[in-house]
Amino acid sequence: MADSMINTPQSPGLWAKARNLPLIPLAVLLIVFIIPAFFAEYLAPHDPYVPNLRARLQPPVFFGGTWEFPMGTDRLGRDILSRILHGAWYVLAVSMIGITVGVVVGTTLGLVAGYARGWFDGLVMRLVDISLALPAMLLALALAASMGTSFLSVVIVVGFALWAYFARQVRAEVLLLRRSDFVERSMVAGSSHTRILFRHILPNVTNTIVVLATLQVGIAIMLDASLSFLGIGIPRPTPTWGLLVSDGRDFIATDWWISFFPGLAILLTVLSANMLGDWLRDKLDPRQRQV
Amino acid sequence: MIRQNDKPRAMPVRLLAAVLLASSISGMNAHAIDAPAQGRIVIALSPLGADSNLYWTTTGAFILPSMQTLVGNDPETGKYDNSQLADSWEHNADFTSWTFRLHPQATFNEPWGPVTSADVVHSFNMHIGDDAKLSGISLFKKIEITAVDDHTVRFDMPSPEPNFLFSNAGRGSLVIYSKAQFDAEGIKGYETSPAGSGPFKYEGREVGQSIRFSTIQDHWTGVNPEFDEIEFRWVSEPSTRYAMLSAGEAHAVTLPRDLQDDAAEDGQTVLVSTEGAMQTTMLFTGQFMNPEAEENRDARTYAWGDQRVREAANRALDREAILEVLYGEGVRPLPVYTMDPRFPGFSEELAARFDTDYGYDPDKAMALLAEAGYPDSFDNAKIPLVVTTLAGNPEFAQMAELVQAYFDVVGIETEMREQDWATGNTAIRGFTADFITPMRNAPVRPSALGVQIFFTEHASAHLNIGDPELNQLGGKLGNETDPATRDALLAKMFTRIFDTYAHLPMGEVPASVVVNSELVEGWTFPGSTSSGLSHFELIDLK
Amino acid sequence: MFRFLVTRISSSLFALLIITVIVFLLSHLSGSPVDALLPDDATQEQIDSFVREWGLDQPLWQQYLTFLVNAVQGNFGTSLKWPGEDAMGFVLDRMPATLKLGGLAILISVVIALPLGIAAAVYRGSAVDHGAQMFALLGQSMPNFWLGIILIWVFSVWLGWLPTSGMGTFAHAILPAVAIAWFQVSALARLTRSAMLEVLDAEYIKLARVKGVSEGMVVWKHALRNAAVVPLTYFGILAASILTGSVVIETVYSWPGMGWVALEAIRGRDFPVVQAVIIAYAVVYMLSNLFVDLLYVVVDPRIRRG
Repeated sequence: MADSMINTPQSPGLWAKARNLPLIPLAVLLIVFIIPAFFAEYLAPHDPYVPNLRARLQPPVFFGGTWEFPMGTDRLGRDILSRILHGAWYVLAVSMIGITVGVVVGTTLGLVAGYARGWFDGLVMRLVDISLALPAMLLALALAASMGTSFLSVVIVVGFALWAYFARQVRAEVLLLRRSDFVERSMVAGSSHTRILFRHILPNVTNTIVVLATLQVGIAIMLDASLSFLGIGIPRPTPTWGLLVSDGRDFIATDWWISFFPGLAILLTVLSANMLGDWLRDKLDPRQRQV
Repeated sequence: MIRQNDKPRAMPVRLLAAVLLASSISGMNAHAIDAPAQGRIVIALSPLGADSNLYWTTTGAFILPSMQTLVGNDPETGKYDNSQLADSWEHNADFTSWTFRLHPQATFNEPWGPVTSADVVHSFNMHIGDDAKLSGISLFKKIEITAVDDHTVRFDMPSPEPNFLFSNAGRGSLVIYSKAQFDAEGIKGYETSPAGSGPFKYEGREVGQSIRFSTIQDHWTGVNPEFDEIEFRWVSEPSTRYAMLSAGEAHAVTLPRDLQDDAAEDGQTVLVSTEGAMQTTMLFTGQFMNPEAEENRDARTYAWGDQRVREAANRALDREAILEVLYGEGVRPLPVYTMDPRFPGFSEELAARFDTDYGYDPDKAMALLAEAGYPDSFDNAKIPLVVTTLAGNPEFAQMAELVQAYFDVVGIETEMREQDWATGNTAIRGFTADFITPMRNAPVRPSALGVQIFFTEHASAHLNIGDPELNQLGGKLGNETDPATRDALLAKMFTRIFDTYAHLPMGEVPASVVVNSELVEGWTFPGSTSSGLSHFELIDLK
Repeated sequence: MFRFLVTRISSSLFALLIITVIVFLLSHLSGSPVDALLPDDATQEQIDSFVREWGLDQPLWQQYLTFLVNAVQGNFGTSLKWPGEDAMGFVLDRMPATLKLGGLAILISVVIALPLGIAAAVYRGSAVDHGAQMFALLGQSMPNFWLGIILIWVFSVWLGWLPTSGMGTFAHAILPAVAIAWFQVSALARLTRSAMLEVLDAEYIKLARVKGVSEGMVVWKHALRNAAVVPLTYFGILAASILTGSVVIETVYSWPGMGWVALEAIRGRDFPVVQAVIIAYAVVYMLSNLFVDLLYVVVDPRIRRG
C-alpha cells in the first residue's frame, strides 16, 4: 500500500520512515481490534449478553434497521456491534496467549535443538513431526471431550498448533548461526553455552520470531473460529468472533448480518495482521522465504 | 532439513501436477448420486447416531421405511391403529399377557413370502441379543414370546405392562425382519439388503450419506405412494440442508426454528406433526431431594437442593417468550415434564395452576432468593448450566443461553458448561452430574414410563432425584394394574413434582419439517417416532 | 540413498508409535462410548454387557497393549457407530474421497497461486502486485466454514451452477475444493513471489537479459522453471493443512471423507474409528513428506548424503 506512494528522492528522515509504515493495516488493526479489545465497555451501545426478545433479528441500519442496533441483532435480540466489540478482547487474548505459548515452547526447543544437536535435536524434530502429523482440530476434539472446553483448552490447542512452526524455523536458523564467525569466536573465547545462546544466538533469531508470530495471528484466529464451528471453542456466552460467525452461519442467506459483521471483523483483522507481517518481514528479514 | 538447490529442475513439479491431476479426476464419477430424478423424493436430515441396517444395533432413532412394527399410529391423532403388521390385539386383565393377530395378507418384499408369527418370534430374538442398543429393549429381555398359531403371537411378562403398545408402535422397540431371509442368507442378508413388509423396498445405502428405497407396486396394505423412489440424505449443517431445499435438490428437510421462519418467508411450507412429538425441560441433576446423604454424592449442597431456589429459578423464566424464541408455532406450555393429555395421569388441575404457580415473576423470584439467603448461605451458589446440542435439538444451546440471561436478572449465579451430549451423559450415569441440563422426551412416552425414567429410582437410577415420596409412589405404580388407581397414582406423582418445583419444564413441541412448496403439497404425520417423522407414503406431491 | 530411506522411515515409525500412545490416551480419557452409543434410558445390564464386550473393564495399559498389537496387524476393531464395519477398513474406504478432494484442492491452489505469485513478482510494487497479494490473503482471512457456506449459496442456490453438497460427479467436488484451496493460495503465492524475485535477480537471468532474450522469455522460460519448485518445499505443510481443513469443509459439504468420519466418530465416541482415522491421517501426512523428500533426492543428489 505504502509503496504505491510517489517515491521522491529525499534524505531518509523521520518522515520517510513513517511514510513506509503500512498505515492502513495499522489503522484497521487499531480500530477493529486493539481499541475495542481494551475499551469495549465504553464503546458498546448495549450489553452484549442480555437477550432482548422484543428486538430479535433486527436488520442493520440502512437495511431496514435503525441506529439503535447499527449492525442488527442476533436470534436472541443481542446487539451485534456490542458483541463484536466485547469479543475483541477474547480474540486478542486467545491469539496473543496462544502464540506466546507457541513462541516460548517452540523457540526454546528450537534453540536448544539447533545448538546442542545430537540426540536432543533428533527428539525435538520427531516431536515436530508428531505435532504436524496430528491435525490440531482432531486433537482439540479429543481434548474437549476429555477435559471439556474452556478458555484454557482453546489456548492450549492454539499453542499446540503453532509451536512446531517456531521450533522448526528457529532450529534452522540456529544451525546456520552456529557456524558463523562470531559464535565460533565466542566458543573459542570460552563463553558458556547459556551465554552464547542468549547473548549471541537468540538476538539474531528474534526478527524471525517476530515476523512469524505476526503472521500466526491469522492462523490463531482462524483456529479459534474453527473450534467454535465444531462446538468446542470458548464456551458461551463469551462472544468471541469465531462463535459469532459460527452461530450466524445458518442464516447466511437470510439474516446475513449475524455472521457477516463478525466475519468482516475477522477478515479485516487477519488481513491487516498479515500485511503488517509482510511489511515487518521485508524490513527485518528481507531474505526470509518461509511462510 | 532440505536445502534449496541453486538450479533445480522443473521436472518434479510437472510430475507432482500430473499425479495430482490424475488422482483427483480419475474415479470422480465412481459413486454418482444423481440430482433428484422424476418420481424420486429426497429428504435431508441431520445424521443419525448409529447407522445400520440391523435396526436393533441402533438406538432406534430412525425406522427404515421398508420395515414395519406391529402397531401403527394414526397419522391424524397418533392413536394406535392396525396400519402396521398387527390386525388386532388384546391383553389380559392385569396387563401381563398381550396377544397380537397379524394381518393374514401381510407379505415381505419378493421373494420372502407372507409375514407369520415365526418372523415375529425370530425378530424378537434378534432384538434381545447382546448387541441390541434399542431404547426400551430391557423390558423385552424379561418377556416370553409364544407363537400361538401362524398369525397369532403372545407376549407374557413378569409385571404389568399397560403401555406395551407404545414399544410396538412409533417408538419402534421391535421391527419385524423376515425369518425366511435369515434362514437363506444369514445376518449378511440383513446387512446388505434387509427385506421388510412396508410399502417401500430397501435399495441401498452410502454409509453416512444416504439410504434409498423404491416404492412397491400393489402393496398388501393398499397404500399407493405418489412417487417411485425415496432417498434420505444425512447432512449435518442446517444451512446446507436449507440450501438443498432452496436449490430444489431436496423435497423436505428438517431445520432449526429460526430457519423455518426464514424458509416460510421465502415461500416454502413448514409442516407440523399433528400431535406433540417431544417434550423438553431443564433438569436439576443429582438426588437433591434426598433427605439423607447419598452414597455416591451429596447433592444437597447444590443451590437447587433448596426448594425456594428451585421456585425462584422457575419464576425467573418468562416461558412464553422463551418458547416463542425456541420453538415458535405449535409449541404448548408443559406443566410437568413427562405428563401428557394423551396418557393416564394428566392433571387438568396442574395445567390450570401452571400460570399462577410457575408464571413469570422476577420480583417473587428475588424475594424467594432473599428468603433462602441466596447466594451467601450456600456453599455451591453458582449453578452450572449445560450448553449442548443433540441431533434433533439444535435449540438446546440457545435454551441454556436464555435461561442464563433470565437467571442473571434475578441474581441467580450461573456458569456455562459447554459440552457435548455424551459428556453430560457420562456425568449423569457416573453419578457425578452437578448441573442443570436440557433434556428431551421424544417421542413422548406414556407418562408412567417417562416419570419413572426421569424422576424416580425405578427405571434409571442415575436420574433419580432422591425424593422418598416419589420413589414410593413409583414403586406402587409398578405393580398396580387397575387403570383408575394408576391414573390417580400418576396424578399424585405429577402433583408432587409440580409442587416441589423439582424441575424447569419447558414445552411440548410438535415435530416439524420444511418442504419445497413447488414440489410438495402436504404430508400428514403424527410425530410418534423418535425422529418425529413417519408415514412417508402420505407425502403428497404437486 | 538406501541409508537415507531407512533413517527417514524408522524415524517416521517412531513418531507413529508416540502418536498411537497419544491417540489411545486421548480417546480413552474422553469419556465412555457407553454414553454416546446407548440410549438415554439404558439399563445397568445393557451398560455392563457393552463394557465387557469392548474390554472397557481392563486396566488402561492392558487395553493399550492389546490395541497396539492389533493395530500393527491393521486391526483396529469394529466400529461402534457404524455397527459391523471394520474400523480401519471403514476409514480407508473413505480415504479416496479425501485424497480426491485434497488433490483437487492442491491443484487449484497451485494453478491459482503460481500465476499470482509470478505476476506479483514481475510487476513488483505495482497495483498488480498488491491486488494479487490481497486476493491471496482474502482466502486466509475468512473462517473456512463461512466461506464454504457462502460459496454454496452463491454458486448452488442463487446461480444454480453447482450441486450444494454430497459426493458424486466432478461438479460436486468443485466448491469444497475451492473452499479448501483458497486458504492455501496466499502462502503459495507468497512463496512463489519471493522465489521469483530471487531468481529474477540471479546472475544468469541478468546474463540472459544482456544477451537480448526477450523479457517474456526470461520470465517464462528461465525464471519460472526455477521458481516453480517452490510448491514442492511447501508440500508437507500444505498436506497437513489440507487434511486439517478437510474436517470442517467435509462437514459443511457432507463430503463422506476422512474428515467427516473423524468428526462423526469423535462425537459418537467411536474409539476404534477415532484411533484408526487419526493414525490414517498421520500416515498420509508422513507418506506425503517422504514423497517430497524422495523427490528432492531425485532432484538434488547432494541430499542423499546430507
